[in-house]
Amino acid sequence: MKVVLTKVMLALVLIGLGVGINVTYESYRGTGLSSVPELGPRRLEAAQSQASGSPVQSRSEPSSKEAARPDAPVVRPDLAALRSAAVSELTLYPTLAKGMRTPFDLWRYYGRGVSSFSSPILPMRFEQWLEFHRKQKPSLMKDVRSYMAMRFDFSGSTLPDATMSGGKSVMAGPVARLSDEVASYEALAELTPEEVRERDLFPYKPLAHPLQTVAHMVFPESWIKVHPEHRRIDVDMDFPDAYLPEFPPPLFLTTHKELGDVANGREVTIDNYYEIFDGLLTPEQMEGLKELLRPSPTTWFNHTDHRVTELPSRGVACFDCHVNGHTNGAFELGPDSRPNMARLRTDTPTMRGNFNLMQLSSKRSIRSMDHFSEVEEYFDGDPGMQQAIGPRAVKREVTNRMGDFNAILDYPPAPKLDPLMRLVPAKATKAALRGEALFHGKAQCSKCHSGPAFVDDYMHDLQVERFYVGRPEGPIKTFPLRGIKDSPPYLHDGRCPTLHDTVEFFNLVLQLKLTEQEKDDLVAYLLCL
Amino acid sequence: MLFFYFGFLKFYPDLSPAELIAGQTLTKLLLNWSEVRATLAVLAILECGIGAALVLNLMPRTTFVLFLVHMAGTFLPLFLLPEFTFKIAPFAPTLEGQYILKNLVFVAAAWTVLRPEKFSDAGGTTPVGQSVIDEKAKSDRGSS
Repeated sequence: MKVVLTKVMLALVLIGLGVGINVTYESYRGTGLSSVPELGPRRLEAAQSQASGSPVQSRSEPSSKEAARPDAPVVRPDLAALRSAAVSELTLYPTLAKGMRTPFDLWRYYGRGVSSFSSPILPMRFEQWLEFHRKQKPSLMKDVRSYMAMRFDFSGSTLPDATMSGGKSVMAGPVARLSDEVASYEALAELTPEEVRERDLFPYKPLAHPLQTVAHMVFPESWIKVHPEHRRIDVDMDFPDAYLPEFPPPLFLTTHKELGDVANGREVTIDNYYEIFDGLLTPEQMEGLKELLRPSPTTWFNHTDHRVTELPSRGVACFDCHVNGHTNGAFELGPDSRPNMARLRTDTPTMRGNFNLMQLSSKRSIRSMDHFSEVEEYFDGDPGMQQAIGPRAVKREVTNRMGDFNAILDYPPAPKLDPLMRLVPAKATKAALRGEALFHGKAQCSKCHSGPAFVDDYMHDLQVERFYVGRPEGPIKTFPLRGIKDSPPYLHDGRCPTLHDTVEFFNLVLQLKLTEQEKDDLVAYLLCL
Repeated sequence: MLFFYFGFLKFYPDLSPAELIAGQTLTKLLLNWSEVRATLAVLAILECGIGAALVLNLMPRTTFVLFLVHMAGTFLPLFLLPEFTFKIAPFAPTLEGQYILKNLVFVAAAWTVLRPEKFSDAGGTTPVGQSVIDEKAKSDRGSS
């Protein structure tokens, strides 16, 4: 009897412990300390008061309106319902330290970080950090390559007679792999978004940074061959060079159209810029260009131990990603969200034609090139890290000059377009002309891609999460299409490796029901822009 | 009781301080094959099961074996994640390393109380520690 009683008592203690932990968790996740952004009772009240414009009141104190009508039912809006319905299907971000591997399918996760603020301190000593990545990198890259091969067929086939402005071949597509359950892209396009989502058939889910706990810039192999100082100890580029922009790309100036590629096939560096540009630029533009070429410490490329290079690094210059004012296909994470794992992978956009843009940056709606030059990018949107690692400040007069040079980077020539950006029939193929008609008609491209740069300067929410279970990415800035053949891969994160993939993506997302011929025609047109 | 307590915490994201190291070890052990939260849930079930069985003296023989297997598993981060468990391997552990090494105390304590020869021959139904108590009583009688 005594033994039984003892066991019952102990069982009760265990149950009490479990209930206590559960209650603790429930109250914990309703607070700002939690990694779960649930709407706890206090937040709900605060939000309701904010919505009605009244100060926060406790539940026991009715508002004056309620007091006047004591029998009136209190209508509380279901604030949780205002969030994406998909949240219930998502998984919380795993708890991870800097350097640890992250899931490749990060779109399926959500949650709150421990803090918005970062620290310039590694989770281990630098020698261990090196050793940790020496062991982790081979297996990580093996898995990265398997994952990319699972998603894309990088066969290396090219489009006949199609080259970028500097002569590199344009790759053929679509290369995104379809599920075995659908026979073709046309068959996939026949399904509703709900069916595609339900059966997990969408081939253009987001791409994450392969190592999102560290993130930061990852350079292509073509760049690393010339700049081995940017070889990372932890991760390499996941795209083959063939599917990235040419290196070095031509550089065109609005002020010297007659010169064509001013760089003449060379990479513009801090060593040769003066020789190339002296006599072509104003002193102010020259100063701006020098600043765009001058390496500067970043969160992970610097002289401290908080770095991803074996040897201390001088840092990264704007033109290390935006080579010759264009792009080499390096990617990083947009600095505009937290936690780190919620940040969207962002390919380097070209700087060509920035003078025509009223909004810059994929998410932040930056309104001027001076602000764009000044904005805190190198430290992942964390001024605290900038203070810790340096440089401590960039003077406005310097960033203005960077903007001055940025403002004369021109698009590549488009000899088949007339001054109003329409194809000259005598110069264009029939396919391209059909593509142009589709662009302005059935395919609806011109609704967002219009004007001299083929951009509307708005942010749009394509609601791509209709097609897969994932965290909504929200509105993203329209990319200009002028010179688009020079800037693969496409979409902000490069999930569309070729122009064909981009057309397939929009055919699905906008439910256009384009035929195979129409899609080829659209690509033929895009090659002319 | 502590086993159950610390195990139960692992059911809840962000509550257990061992979540990071346990999750990473399991992920490495399973060659990145499974999801961290799912493996942590399995670990939580195992720990709660062992804890409850130890407290309530359920299936002590099986529990003891499971306990030893689990304890062996807790030492894996010392080998799989030395960068996180040692400041300087192998003699200067981090706090996490010490947290793991202290499990030796658990193993020693469990071995003292639950070692196989202490189980009764009749299917292992003797209450935990009862054999120790019996032996103590026998030796007390002998000395008096």
